[in-house]
Amino acid sequence: MSRLSFILRRLIRAFVTILFAVTVTFLLLRLMPGDPALAIASPNMTDEARALLLTQYGLDKPLFVQFGLYLGQVFQGNFGTSFTQSRPVLDVLLQRLPWTLLLTFTALTLTVIVGIPLGVLAASRRGKLLDKIVQVIGVTGQSLFVPSIGVLLLYVFGLMLGWFPIGGAYSTGTYGLDWYASVATHLVLPAVSLMLIQLGSYVLTMRATLIDALEEDYVTLAKANGLPKRRILWKHAMRNALLPTTTLIGLQLGFLVGGAVLTETVFAYPGIGRGIYEAVTQLDFPVLQGAFLLLAITVVVANMVTDIIYGFLDPRVKTS
Amino acid sequence: MRKKNLLAAGALSVVLALGGCAPSAPESPGNAGGSFDDTLTVATTTDVVNYNPLIGNSRSDYWITNLMYPHLLSIADNGKKIAGLATDWGYTDETTGFYEIRDDFTWSDGTPLTAEDVAWTMNAVKNDAPSGTFYGQMANFESAEAVSETRVEIKLSQSDSTVIEELGFWGNVVPKHVFEKAETVADFPNDGKDGGWVSAGPYLLTEVQAGQSYTMERVDNYPLVDGEKPIAAKVIYRVFPDVNTEILALQSGEVDVIANALPPAQVDNLRNTEGVEVAEVVGLGYAHMTYNMSKPDLAKLEVRQALAHAVDYETIRSVVLQGQAVSTGSSPLMPVLSDYYEDSLKEYEFDTELSRKLMKDAGYTEDSNGNFPVSFRLIYSLQDSVTSQWATLVQDSAAEAGITIELQGTERNTYLAMTQEGDYDIYAGSFAIMDDPVTNFALSYLPGGVINYTYVDDPELNALIEKGMVTSDTPEKIKIMQEAAKIVHEQVYDNIMYTQNLYFAHSAEWEGFVTQPSELLSIVNPLSIASAYKVK
Repeated sequence: MSRLSFILRRLIRAFVTILFAVTVTFLLLRLMPGDPALAIASPNMTDEARALLLTQYGLDKPLFVQFGLYLGQVFQGNFGTSFTQSRPVLDVLLQRLPWTLLLTFTALTLTVIVGIPLGVLAASRRGKLLDKIVQVIGVTGQSLFVPSIGVLLLYVFGLMLGWFPIGGAYSTGTYGLDWYASVATHLVLPAVSLMLIQLGSYVLTMRATLIDALEEDYVTLAKANGLPKRRILWKHAMRNALLPTTTLIGLQLGFLVGGAVLTETVFAYPGIGRGIYEAVTQLDFPVLQGAFLLLAITVVVANMVTDIIYGFLDPRVKTS
Repeated sequence: MRKKNLLAAGALSVVLALGGCAPSAPESPGNAGGSFDDTLTVATTTDVVNYNPLIGNSRSDYWITNLMYPHLLSIADNGKKIAGLATDWGYTDETTGFYEIRDDFTWSDGTPLTAEDVAWTMNAVKNDAPSGTFYGQMANFESAEAVSETRVEIKLSQSDSTVIEELGFWGNVVPKHVFEKAETVADFPNDGKDGGWVSAGPYLLTEVQAGQSYTMERVDNYPLVDGEKPIAAKVIYRVFPDVNTEILALQSGEVDVIANALPPAQVDNLRNTEGVEVAEVVGLGYAHMTYNMSKPDLAKLEVRQALAHAVDYETIRSVVLQGQAVSTGSSPLMPVLSDYYEDSLKEYEFDTELSRKLMKDAGYTEDSNGNFPVSFRLIYSLQDSVTSQWATLVQDSAAEAGITIELQGTERNTYLAMTQEGDYDIYAGSFAIMDDPVTNFALSYLPGGVINYTYVDDPELNALIEKGMVTSDTPEKIKIMQEAAKIVHEQVYDNIMYTQNLYFAHSAEWEGFVTQPSELLSIVNPLSIASAYKVK
């Protein structure tokens, strides 16, 4: 298979996945109990007034008509208008998306930077005390609940030690370089929270794949040739063990975005995850559809890029 | 080398992307100065959903738009309506009402606020039917007319003694010269994109960081505050969706006030926290259970009475509410409505033996385990943590009386849908503000009333409520509503369990707050925010 046809096939697959996500999201939201007019309207509104609201939102039309209209809008780059905010959905989402991207990519970077060396360390000292400690850290991390770890970090490092601010993405009234510094300090605790809950997967995957790699013939050969242990570990075995970890990064992106909803809520971080939480409580279908679509696109594109990179790293993938 | 270049390019693109989000410094306000230069930071749990006060969705919408768009009337601790923008109000005949408004209010862009703004606002709400509470009060409103610079006359479709006070209390007045540009006020976002906002309140919204903060700057001419100048130069609302984070921010000094009421379990903790003060505010609503009379078992008075006597109200108030609630004597006329409250109505006594007797009187027989052959499904919202807790106590105490209650806690939207469809035996919930007894009774107990969750249709009660609606003589109206409350109590058409007192935390560094009843007004009402000052 040529490189171009490999990329083309991945693009088609990504498009179909996004279309599937759009359809499922649209239908799932309509299957949710309750109606938006009830969630938005004052309790002392008459049934007629509520019916009028449903007409305004276009929710009185048959489902397939609503879906057709929605798809038509999406292909024109129009995500509709928020029921509650009376503003274009894209405006609402684009205000928040950069913060979510900053948070998730910082958390991902931190996880990779910390997780991979920890996994290598554990594998190279297999069965020893350090290996056991790293495994305990990995398993504990996987069982952590974001809000609990978030509040704990805020209490210790925000309130007691006063090292980091409590909540928000930056301090109001900061400008220029101060603003960048403020963004950085506000980012630390939420990013560390997200990192902690994912760290386990990376550490344990890296450890397991590296242990396998260290048992391969080429490692034995390298040892026999007298190559230094460190070089065998970091230059040869780890490079091969990195492939499954690369796949993990793609797979974990969806999980990361899910974790961002809770993290952003606890840390009052103004990202898209919090927007989803608020839109769910208000049954703001256009915002929810738009948010899920944007996130689906982000995750699918990231996965596709991972896939393509993997294809270049390991030529066997392209031909499979 | 190539790797290093890639890394540098990546880092640069992140910095550039963030640069797009970086705010630029606003021009310094010309009206701040002297000792009036402090910033009051207020925490809230929700973002502003809509800046149009005629729509208004979240509490933050209400708090922030209230600082810009005045109400005609406010409310005293006893539930009585008091002057706001209006200085006088009432009726000239059965179907004509009026407001006389102040002549010293000006919009922040220099345009005077006149009766024309008031009349235009009301007519626009009536015509465009936005989804907020304002429109919900307009059933008998026909039209408004500015007959002078300071007088508005209201035409009603039928006699209604509640409408003038209810519209005056619930409705904000918006600037006609801004809002009339919109095709309809029902979907006008009022997001300030067209040259910013204008305000006739103590503060003007100047900067919005979505999901993060709302910065408001002082408007010097606010006639309702002493000296006509609000004290804090700026008010910043910051959003903390998680209450625990919000409390940590207050303790750390990042915020000065928490706008939302504290969860009962946090009140004592914060009272004992150094540097934090807790203010008590009278609640204007109540928590209650209604028994769906469209179900044959619950249509029987004895069964409703049995259920009402199988609730340990005192334990609920002392354990779940931590003593932060008062009994209403099982009456919809709460003690806070002092003119209407009648202490002869007593709370249903918790007596499971009496419940058993009542069930037997209703024709039910206990089985060998002492249980009656009935089971009732009680619905409540899982987002309402207080109700979620006492629902379990209600279930347990009913079991002592041999009555089975099946709890069905659901997510809020499901709960609202089930409530709307009457899909329950027992409804448990609370109303935040029941400020006007006649309106409250009409909505709750008249057939077709939008919160008639009991599905009651009692001709005697209906006649009293309808009489109350057309009676403008206050002593007479009070007498009528007390008679109506007696029927509701005797027939268990509603089981009012308590009025919750509300507690609000603020930094000890700030004083001068003016409390008003309910969570919506509390210590963040416009007068309070304009009067608060930092202790030097």
